[in-house]
Amino acid sequence: MLDRLTPSGVAVPAFLITWSLVVILPLLVIVLFSFLQVKSYRVVYLPTLGTWESVIDSGRWIVAVRTLRIAITMTLIELLLAFPFALWLAKGCKSKPAKAIIITLLTIPFFLDTSSRIIVWRSILGTNGIVNTVLTSLGIVDEPISWLLYSEFAVHFGMLGSYFPTMVFPIFMIMSLIDDDYLQASSDLGASPGQTLLYVILPMSLPGVVAGVVFTLVPLMAAFVEPQMLGGGFVNLLGNSVNSALQELKYPTAAALSTIVVVLLGVCLAALILITRKRFDMSTMFQAIRR
Amino acid sequence: MIGTSDLPTLALIDERQLADSSRFWRRVSRWKGWPATAKWLGFFAIAMIYVPLVWLAVMSISQSPLSGIPYPLTTANYAALAADSRWIPPLQVSLVMSTLVAIVCMVIATMVGRSITRMRRPGGVLLLTLLPLFVPGLTMGAALFIFLRTMLGLKMGYWSIFVAQLVWALPFALLLVLVIASRFDLRLLEAAEDLGATPWRRFWDIEMPILRPGVFGAGVFGFLLSFNELLRSLFLRGVETTMPIYNWAMAASQQSQVPIIFSLATIILVVTLPVMGVFFWFLFVKLDRS
Repeated sequence: MLDRLTPSGVAVPAFLITWSLVVILPLLVIVLFSFLQVKSYRVVYLPTLGTWESVIDSGRWIVAVRTLRIAITMTLIELLLAFPFALWLAKGCKSKPAKAIIITLLTIPFFLDTSSRIIVWRSILGTNGIVNTVLTSLGIVDEPISWLLYSEFAVHFGMLGSYFPTMVFPIFMIMSLIDDDYLQASSDLGASPGQTLLYVILPMSLPGVVAGVVFTLVPLMAAFVEPQMLGGGFVNLLGNSVNSALQELKYPTAAALSTIVVVLLGVCLAALILITRKRFDMSTMFQAIRR
Repeated sequence: MIGTSDLPTLALIDERQLADSSRFWRRVSRWKGWPATAKWLGFFAIAMIYVPLVWLAVMSISQSPLSGIPYPLTTANYAALAADSRWIPPLQVSLVMSTLVAIVCMVIATMVGRSITRMRRPGGVLLLTLLPLFVPGLTMGAALFIFLRTMLGLKMGYWSIFVAQLVWALPFALLLVLVIASRFDLRLLEAAEDLGATPWRRFWDIEMPILRPGVFGAGVFGFLLSFNELLRSLFLRGVETTMPIYNWAMAASQQSQVPIIFSLATIILVVTLPVMGVFFWFLFVKLDRS
């Protein structure tokens, strides 16, 4: 019975094959491509380790380490900000309109142009920016603070708002599924709020935390606009290296750097799964989506 | 629920071990200020999103947008924007491109979404379709560029921007359709079949009205995500330019063009923010009721 209701058997497999061609195949190709050479605009199909050697020799691995460090730091900062906020939003905020307004405010940034949002920070944090103008005119500092812009601080600061919603949403969704009765029961049994948080809320919201970390870490690993506009050339990340390698037509180098991004992400995700494996299996993430 | 059996019960917590530090921690955990702290931390992060937007609007009417002082106020930036016409073609390209991406998203997401709900083991198909969510945009863009341009030797253009944006927008569109489609009761279709409805009528008269919010949402998300897509289109654009690419190029390399970008971005914000606000408001209120 069910079979006759399924949509035509051709369309979906055709889509899946096309999808694999434009999603999976390119990702495999870049790994392969990093072992090839380009000579006078032609791909030489002869395996070589030259690209990888030059990537390691030219000190690009420092860039990889920096990218990983900034991505993990930002993910942790966002988690520290988002977890308590999601808990408050799901369980503490009693006003429904307020909840809807906050959710709307958190959704809108997904659809805003990145460049114009980030470039504005220049006029806030720069040496002539509003922060420094106010500080110097109030006499708090004698001369403008130069590390506010074109520094790692500025890059972190600019990322703060951009990557917050992706962390809040999954945690909030999973927390609103936690039945209030569990929390009531925990406190009736004599648990302090801290114990309830540690032994009831945290384990139950772990899938949301993992999803939040994944969706924040993934774009952070190839962050490009923030370091480009607020780093002032001092904060070179893998995303910028990929871009400049492509501009210089060094395709195998770009492929090798992209491979590093994917591999580092894979290692991070694998570590995340290993750490949280005892608590839940990945399939619950998709079950949560289906709700 | 989520691995309920694995949860440590309170009885397992060793009371004696807790006793040493418990007085301190109890006091910490009973502190009345925690909810307010959590609330204001989140509000701080939200302010980090919206302060730049407000500042963008303020600086768009000030004489030197990249300095810190908004005064003197001027409308010169808007006049310059009106006199300049270079931003119009990218805007038109983006509008047409996003509409196309939205339509294709709606069709494919409906098709794949409703078939996933009928599969016994949907995991593989779902994971395959959602894979782009786990790949950074820049990496996907670079990978597509190297594959299509260098490997296959194809000429980049509007079509490759379209492919890149579809790869980004479709997973979200599919998720939206899935949320609605997974609640759909297949017995409705059996009933319709028993009553003699043709397959097309079963789809269009029974299934579609129920799926419509998801399909509509898929279209809106597809449009908005495509309209603001930068990281993938940047590599796959060939010589074409979309609105985000234009903004990025102006902001990144040409300081003199920044005032125009500020006023242009402000106009787009003024138009889109209320529309999006109302749309999401209704979406969430409706989702909340169902």
